[in-house]
Amino acid sequence: MDRKKHRILNIVAYTAVLSILVPLLVLPFWSFVGRWPWPGLLPENFTLRGMEELFSGATNVLPVLTSSIALSLTVAVLAAVIGMMTARALVFYDFRGKELISFATVLPIIVPGTAFAMGVHVVFIYLGLADTVLGVILVHLIYALPYTINIMTDVTAMIGNSLEVQGQVLGVSPARSFYHVTLPLIMPGMISSASMAYIISFSQYFLTLMIGGGKVKTLSVVMVPFIQGGDRTIAAAYASVFVLSTLLVFVLLEILVRKYTARLSGI
Amino acid sequence: MKKKLILFLIIAVFSTFALTGCGGGQDQAAKEEGQFDANADYSVILEQAKGSTVSFYGWGGDEERNKWIDTVVAPALKEKYDVTLERVPMDIDQILAKLSGEKQAGGKDGSIDMIWINGENFYSAKENGLLFGPFAEQLPNYQKYINADDPENQKDFGYPIEGYEAPYGKAQMVLINDSAKTPETPKNTAELLEYVKKYPGKVTYPALPDFTGSAFVRNVIYDIVGYEQFMDMKADKATVKAAIEPALEYLRSLNPYLWNQGKTFPSSSTEVNNMFADGELYLNMSYAPYSVTVNIEKGIYPATARSFLFDSGMIGNTSYIAIAANAPHKAAAMVAINEVISAEMQATQFSNLKTLPIVDYSKLSDAEKALFDNVDVGKGALSQDELLEKRVPEMPANLVPVIEEIWQEEVVGK
Repeated sequence: MDRKKHRILNIVAYTAVLSILVPLLVLPFWSFVGRWPWPGLLPENFTLRGMEELFSGATNVLPVLTSSIALSLTVAVLAAVIGMMTARALVFYDFRGKELISFATVLPIIVPGTAFAMGVHVVFIYLGLADTVLGVILVHLIYALPYTINIMTDVTAMIGNSLEVQGQVLGVSPARSFYHVTLPLIMPGMISSASMAYIISFSQYFLTLMIGGGKVKTLSVVMVPFIQGGDRTIAAAYASVFVLSTLLVFVLLEILVRKYTARLSGI
Repeated sequence: MKKKLILFLIIAVFSTFALTGCGGGQDQAAKEEGQFDANADYSVILEQAKGSTVSFYGWGGDEERNKWIDTVVAPALKEKYDVTLERVPMDIDQILAKLSGEKQAGGKDGSIDMIWINGENFYSAKENGLLFGPFAEQLPNYQKYINADDPENQKDFGYPIEGYEAPYGKAQMVLINDSAKTPETPKNTAELLEYVKKYPGKVTYPALPDFTGSAFVRNVIYDIVGYEQFMDMKADKATVKAAIEPALEYLRSLNPYLWNQGKTFPSSSTEVNNMFADGELYLNMSYAPYSVTVNIEKGIYPATARSFLFDSGMIGNTSYIAIAANAPHKAAAMVAINEVISAEMQATQFSNLKTLPIVDYSKLSDAEKALFDNVDVGKGALSQDELLEKRVPEMPANLVPVIEEIWQEEVVGK
């Protein structure tokens, strides 16, 4: 009975993994395909059109990719830090309007995106932030914060501040106590919220276009017209770059942070 | 007390921001208005344009066109006039949303200079005061190469242009199929019905209001009831419906033989295009008359694909370039547009992108004519003469949404 249950679970798990992996693996393949009519098992012809679009002189993807990653990493770090601080305020302190602020943190994802973007756009024009990188970072932050605050609120509430307070009781300054005791404990939460913020920023099309005015070019801004235009070869080529670069960033992030935390908790 | 003070300070800071933002914007706009005169001598405009960076906003989903702008147009502008062209890929809906957002925020200098536009979008942009003009007739190359009396240079989807946009390229509806799969090329709607009956489930068209699907339906209407009556028709649902009733009847008669029995239609022309490339559909349609050639070259269509027309004509339209009312570099925009409508650039556009040129052939010198004559239109395509001979005008812009609405009610699933 138990074994049978185990087998069913396995089947479910493998089906889930396959249904995510197979379409992903088809992506890089499609970037070389010209025509692949049904019901052929293999494509009729191959093309380097996708690679030309990515790496030819006129439309080189690398500079866009680098600046896109830099922008999203900035958003990720800021969102994780602000999320952590907001979560601490919400969990550890009592103040007037706490409920309201707690509710306000999820507002950006409740309000319909288009309406939200138009409003922010007008305000940003007043403030001179439209068409600037700073404006785009800010608007991505607004969208990423609801997620990071939520993640960090749970993590902070779970870990509590008793250990940190204990450190202070033992005579360490609050800053050092936070840095050496709490930070290593909440690091996994920080990583997941940073990753979440990174993905949100990296895949943001409409907001980036609206606030960046097309002057701030991210990978999504360049990629989405091809997806909408139905050019599968080029769309697949861009999508492969999108997925691979995101994976790479996550792996690097994970390694860096692990090294860092190991050093921290070792003191 | 302290809290209230802080709150007050925040409000004060924000309102000054808002006020100065607004006021400053108006001043600047006034200055700009005073500074730039489209009627100034062209040499003055050339001088003003020197050294500026002009932005060109438009749809970015065609990599060949992107490449043409980046590697042919931009270098020519830089070299000849010291103008840097920056291409910004953005859909027209977003461009208009951005422009109206900028307008709402006060007349401050915008970020958009040139816009690739036509039809309903031009209508709404011009009506809402988002465009700069008139400027087109002031361009030297407009005088030199363009036939100002051509109806397509007078009106865009039936709406008067009045110099608020300059022609960019011509498009024309074509039907596409694969001679290896279906030998026939229906010459009119009656033959199309036979074709659809012979290959049930293999034909459909994009659901309206898709741009291409909508144009296809208008073409069917033209073939059945003619186009002349629509040119000055009132955009009134009952009137339009009465006029197109025979065509609606015809479209309903197609339904049982269409893909999915006409209960649903693919949501976009890109979907239909991919279904055709995959062999799932036998008939495709496009507003880009040379899309067959381009797609055969790319390896997306089989080499046996070809385009064909209805004998009664296919709808053609022109797309245009306009200048935003709040464009920061109007002089450079005029210089860039003047270059794009030159015989030379139109010829490279024709040879690289297979976009029908907007210059008037009879106004060209022999050397310039040769530039166009030497272009090989490639496999599966029709010659420019054949296309232009069977070209019929677009319907007035305000009738288009009415027809789309009627189609939704009277054709889908009926």
